[in-house]
Amino acid sequence: MREFAASIVETVRHPLLVLDSSLRVCSANSAFQSMFTVRGEQVSGHPVIAPGGPLDIPELRDRLAQLADGGDGFNGFEVTHHFSSTGPKTLLLNARRVLNEDDRSPMILLAIEDVTDAKRAEDALKGLNEELESRVRQRTAQLEAANKEMEAFCYSVSHDLRAPLRAIDGFAQELLNGYGETLDGTARHYLARMRANSQRMAELIDDLLLLSRLSRAEMTVRPVDLTALAEEVAAELRQGEPDRELVFSAQQGMTASGDARLLRVVFENILRNAWKFTSKKPQAIVEIGRTESDRRAAFFVRDDGAGFDMRYVGNLFGAFQRLHHEKDFPGTGIGLAIVQRIVHRHGGRVWAEGEVGRGATFYFTLPGEGMA
Amino acid sequence: MTRKVILLVEDNPDDEELALLAFKRSNLANEVVIARDGVEALDYLFGGNGRVAGIVPQVVLLDLKLPRVDGLEVLRRVRADERTHRLPVVILTSSKEDEDLMRGYDLGANSYVRKPVDFDRFVEAVRHLQMYWLVLNEPPPQTR
Repeated sequence: MREFAASIVETVRHPLLVLDSSLRVCSANSAFQSMFTVRGEQVSGHPVIAPGGPLDIPELRDRLAQLADGGDGFNGFEVTHHFSSTGPKTLLLNARRVLNEDDRSPMILLAIEDVTDAKRAEDALKGLNEELESRVRQRTAQLEAANKEMEAFCYSVSHDLRAPLRAIDGFAQELLNGYGETLDGTARHYLARMRANSQRMAELIDDLLLLSRLSRAEMTVRPVDLTALAEEVAAELRQGEPDRELVFSAQQGMTASGDARLLRVVFENILRNAWKFTSKKPQAIVEIGRTESDRRAAFFVRDDGAGFDMRYVGNLFGAFQRLHHEKDFPGTGIGLAIVQRIVHRHGGRVWAEGEVGRGATFYFTLPGEGMA
Repeated sequence: MTRKVILLVEDNPDDEELALLAFKRSNLANEVVIARDGVEALDYLFGGNGRVAGIVPQVVLLDLKLPRVDGLEVLRRVRADERTHRLPVVILTSSKEDEDLMRGYDLGANSYVRKPVDFDRFVEAVRHLQMYWLVLNEPPPQTR
């Protein structure tokens, strides 16, 4: 049995010491000898905490003294020490009392693990994490500051830019009202253009404000019933023009994770477009459904209306970009920019396909991750 | 028969001129008193700076961004004073920002109208306001 125990002590890869009740070294395994670069004979018989010896560590001395006096053993006692042979190391130690097999005399087993590298890695990781958190805090603060500035800017725009437009529109109209008879057709035409442009600019300002507000709005992410949303928006459109012969068909059971309010805005804009661009047809069909693209779920809205030329598809989602003439289909061209902004905030993609005269399909994904 | 007075609180001279034109165009013979900032508005309502308080208006049309004392402060003081506590106040302003709407209603505004850029629509709005607040709406009983 003794041989067996001795073999174990020798084979174990961690340094192991067997001490007598006076804390003198009875045996030190090879792992101990190689870690502390000593030979067994150099430490054998000497107190383990011999001054100048390999384990001359003050903190360890006290713990071991307690143990020798009849105190409890310890597990995972961590100590960092600068060793003359190896430099600074962090060690984990277990110690317990055992009884000698032969004469039942009390002995102490001391097992040592070198966790210097592990500790260094852990500290480095902690350092990196702290740095990351600090950077995130900084970026968040910057973002909040930017949002606040944007808010203040929009507030200013909301108030201050519209007032002069009112003045231009109002006085132009009063010119027409009060001096209409003295003005010839061209003068009246110019005044009408002035009015049209100031009103147009007011619309553009409102659209930009809306886009900005939607970019900053806080998102409350929850499961959203997209089918219900689409059907609600469709019903509202129909209420506005009940005589239109248009068939809405929404796939049942479409759900996604997102902000219900913002997703409603997405449907409002896409469906309003579908409604608008099918307005020249006596009958129209608008389909809303779910499909797969790149092995991911994508939602689509398809209409059979005016469509668009795919050569210009790159412009489609830009703010105020239009692929049709104002006189054919009115609008400022902000709708799809809004859709794109919201879908991007949900971490998704948006794209479209169309054919002039045959219709258009708008796709978007709501992956449920990567939201901002 | 008591005169029906509209107190218009507006600092922008162009907006003031257009508002008066709009009132003229609506062909309703109501008297419009102009206060060009919050201080003038409060002086008119409560007297002060050597002025006697004017006739309690039937409605106050209140712009928000005013120099010296701003619109919301005027509203706060109007609501705080027993004499004008129930006085109908319509906020008439450029802004449609949620914050302004909330603060206006929180401070007790009766209505909030955003000034349209289109002058024809502005004339319409002014007509509607007069028809509603001076004809249809029952004003609070006079407390003085």
